[in-house]
Amino acid sequence: MTTEPIRVEGDFPVYFRYTVGVAGEKFFREIMENGRLMASRCSSCNLNYLPPRIYCERCMSRLEEYVPVENEGTVEAFTITHQDAEGNPLQEPVGVALVRFPGAYGGLVHRTIDVLAIGDRVRAVFKDKKERTGSILDIKFFEKIS
Amino acid sequence: MQIKKRVAVVGAGMTKFMRRAQETGKELAFEAVRQALDSCNMRIEDIQSVALGSAPDAFDGVHMKGEYLLDGAGAWGKPYSRSFVGGGTGVFSLIHGWWHVASGLFDTCLVVAEEKMSSCLPHPQTAFLTIFDNMIERPLGPNLIWIFALEMQRYMQTYKIPKEQIAQVAVKNKRNALDHPSAQIAQKVTLQDVLNSEVMAYPVQRLDISPVSDGACAIVLASEDVARKITDSPVWIDGVGWNLDTTYWTNRDLYFPRYVANAARMAYAMAGVRNPRKEIDFAEPYDPFDYKELHHMEGLLLCRKGEAPKLTAEGVTERDGNLPVCPSGGLLGVGNPIAAAGLMKICELFWQLRGEAGKRQIPGDPRTAVAQAWGDLMQIGTVVVMRG
Repeated sequence: MTTEPIRVEGDFPVYFRYTVGVAGEKFFREIMENGRLMASRCSSCNLNYLPPRIYCERCMSRLEEYVPVENEGTVEAFTITHQDAEGNPLQEPVGVALVRFPGAYGGLVHRTIDVLAIGDRVRAVFKDKKERTGSILDIKFFEKIS
Repeated sequence: MQIKKRVAVVGAGMTKFMRRAQETGKELAFEAVRQALDSCNMRIEDIQSVALGSAPDAFDGVHMKGEYLLDGAGAWGKPYSRSFVGGGTGVFSLIHGWWHVASGLFDTCLVVAEEKMSSCLPHPQTAFLTIFDNMIERPLGPNLIWIFALEMQRYMQTYKIPKEQIAQVAVKNKRNALDHPSAQIAQKVTLQDVLNSEVMAYPVQRLDISPVSDGACAIVLASEDVARKITDSPVWIDGVGWNLDTTYWTNRDLYFPRYVANAARMAYAMAGVRNPRKEIDFAEPYDPFDYKELHHMEGLLLCRKGEAPKLTAEGVTERDGNLPVCPSGGLLGVGNPIAAAGLMKICELFWQLRGEAGKRQIPGDPRTAVAQAWGDLMQIGTVVVMRG
């Protein structure tokens, strides 16, 4: 007689489709069409939200003004990943940085191709226009400005 | 419990209920919050705490949805928490917020409920497949409609209820919703339309069921002293109750929701309602299925067991009847973004008791009303009694 516990296999059989939302449409279409970052502006709190939101989280005003943000920013934090989520070694280590932009509230976490230090200046490198799909991966990576 | 402050609803707002919203869940929450604050001329800095209700994370497809929704719900930098009791969440979220104010801890509280079910594929119901017992039930491939079909059949058999009387609820609620500006599936359907709609699991047919929806609602609460400075016509939360039956649905009385009755007794006792049949002017029971409105009317002690179908057939529950039920149009007509659907019922009590329900307004100056939702593993009743 087996002493193995009796087991039942199970799964959670759902998948998802997300809309990017009202502010997300502005953000991703600007990247797709113009290769440019866009923030939404709260003039009463003097904050430019990047990525944009349709509301200011501080005063809950409706935000309808959008302002361009420079594609060049500063590295706030940086790491190099050597393993994937299962602990397997990556063929190529991947650099990841939190980048903040002048005059913008928030920032973007994205890949880098260079080894960076906190405080380095970096620039967004976009895919060719015809390859952009309205995804955060339309930005290929951030590169160091020498 | 010692209640330190009487609590009033002073503002309400809701988005349209939609099949597929372009807005993100955060954006839906914001739209409801903005409308609720504007309805009582309050600013977000006037709000001291935020109580959020949202049902399973698997609907929006965002784990830790409460934390995700925080900024859209206006909770940045505030005491904030999420409650979740399945389908009962919408009404419970009001109880959650009421607690914040009734305890004396806060003078004001913003209650927000959101659901974006269109994210979940192939169907939000799929997210429920794992609620069944993995050893005993899941190998059979059950789904929610099975359970409701079994419950509905048991209810019909116990009281000898013809399907026509149950289908009348769908006809009424979808028609009532024609007057609701936020309604998703308001329509004029006939009894024959309901009875001829496709059979999903007998006796449950397509038009017996509420739709899948996206939407959000928000409510502003204030303590008595503060409420009177905000508005001349606060609506009072005079009783709250909730109660859970056994987790094993096989062990419940399928023909009568005793957990709803327990929750209702708790709320009525707090509100000083001795005879609900006489003292409740109208009701918004939870109606994800047409038979559930009837089940819940009986659970809310608004009539005798098995009597709700007859009252419906006689027109008593129409908007101009003696006991209007779901004057909003309910989940069957306005839509069913789970947590938001429950809070929509609180919005309806607020608007009706203030005489602000427009074309939906119940005649005769209603003063006392009850709202109820149902959920968890089909075992919780959440009940709120409000007075104008």
